[in-house]
Amino acid sequence: MSGIAWLVEPMSYPFMQRAAVGTLAVGVAAPVAGVWATSRRLVYLTDAMGHAILAGVAAAALLGASLLVGGLTAALVMALLVALLVVRARLPEDSAIGVAGQGLFALGVIGVSVSSQPRALSHVLFGNPLTISSADVAAVIALSVIVVAAVAVCLPVLVATTFDPVHARTLAVRTGLVDTAVIVGLGLVVVVGLTTVGVLMALTLCIAPATAARLLSARVTRVLFLAGSLGASAGLAGLLASYHLGLPAGPVVAVLAVAEVAAAVLARTCLRRRHAN
Amino acid sequence: MSSAILRCQRLTVRYGPTVAVEAVDLALTAGEMVALVGRNGAGKSTLLRALAGLTGHEGTVVRDPRACQHPRGEVRVAYVPQRATPRWDMPISVRRAVTAGRLPPGRRWRRAARTDGRVGGGALARLDLTELAARPVGALSGGQAQRLLLARALAQEPDVLLLDEPCDGLDVASVAALVGTLRQLADAGMAVCCAMHELRLARGACNRVIAIDRSVLADGPADQVLSPGGVAALFGLAGAA
Repeated sequence: MSGIAWLVEPMSYPFMQRAAVGTLAVGVAAPVAGVWATSRRLVYLTDAMGHAILAGVAAAALLGASLLVGGLTAALVMALLVALLVVRARLPEDSAIGVAGQGLFALGVIGVSVSSQPRALSHVLFGNPLTISSADVAAVIALSVIVVAAVAVCLPVLVATTFDPVHARTLAVRTGLVDTAVIVGLGLVVVVGLTTVGVLMALTLCIAPATAARLLSARVTRVLFLAGSLGASAGLAGLLASYHLGLPAGPVVAVLAVAEVAAAVLARTCLRRRHAN
Repeated sequence: MSSAILRCQRLTVRYGPTVAVEAVDLALTAGEMVALVGRNGAGKSTLLRALAGLTGHEGTVVRDPRACQHPRGEVRVAYVPQRATPRWDMPISVRRAVTAGRLPPGRRWRRAARTDGRVGGGALARLDLTELAARPVGALSGGQAQRLLLARALAQEPDVLLLDEPCDGLDVASVAALVGTLRQLADAGMAVCCAMHELRLARGACNRVIAIDRSVLADGPADQVLSPGGVAALFGLAGAA
């Protein structure tokens, strides 16, 4: 099979077209949000979100409500709990995330144990890019546009509050509000990504491309651009590779995204050696 | 006597049941450099944070625009935190970090304007950081990082400069250069108030020394406050002077 056919042939199927668009959208949004997660040491938050969502999904299943809305609500509750514990109770961020995430996770496990819809729960909790619907595609595109636009518009205030929140407060910036917005934004990215393209792909795309980008540049605009580009390329390449190799898409994309980090470490080491010589 | 540009009266800060600063009265005047001295935990940082508007307090803090060297209708107060406060692994350049000081109310979402670039560039030049402007903040030495924080404060074009132990952890040459810059800023009309432990420097560079231990122990000329028989000596503060 020629290179072009390798790229084009899978795209003749509508499910692959939807998967490609959805993966690209999450591939941009997740890393752009992830840059702030890594800069603000909120990586653990994104992981804990994956656990906390269980509570909302289980509650929605028990109540017969939309599972996606239930997941979103759980993510928002967790984000607000964490923000409250960090901003008001002055807890360290990792402790706040651990307490809120594990508490919600425990509630979710109890909810699942009494749920009568284990298959529906499985679908929402472990979404698959190959089964993504047109409505899901629209949701992730909207999410991507919102995340990128919010970061572009708020870049000066995001930089000021991330680099030195104490100093930002002296400029009358409401840092608590910005912290909450960042955590809520991350929560939205995780839950929308998680329920559309899958938990593994969503979480990995939040963290790995942003980490790789930070290894390759120390300028925030370049890091954001690189993170989005690396996320989108890992998503698309992983999707195509999974199709041709007959492997599950989410894990392949995740492995490629992690491989980008390894490549970035290697590239940075080589560059430093060259500078040293 | 010049009128105070920043004055606090009966300023008290509590953290729950703990009183960190109690009934402090002090006034800062344009053109003076004031050292705030005291043992660890005496309330120096808390007092500076309260003056900068970072901490809730009892009592009053009044800013008087008429006392500014360059009246603009408002008193601008810049606060330089301890060097460990910022996230130095953030992927930003020195220039962007300094420009973060140009984020006044009402312009949160706007890109840096030409004026911001000019003022930021001037602050970088003043602190001898122009050549390092493109360098990542994480690649700076301790002395360079402290200069960055001061440059960011200068980018705010302040009338009052409050610094929390800026000399901490710096080598002798860096401390001398930093204190020299602060002295120049005071001579140019800024009110500078600096928490410090280096009492010899306080005596040499500052017009005035305020010794605190929760409340003000002594407030006066450096030689007087830090003299062997001065009030500060009673609290073990003057031993190194």
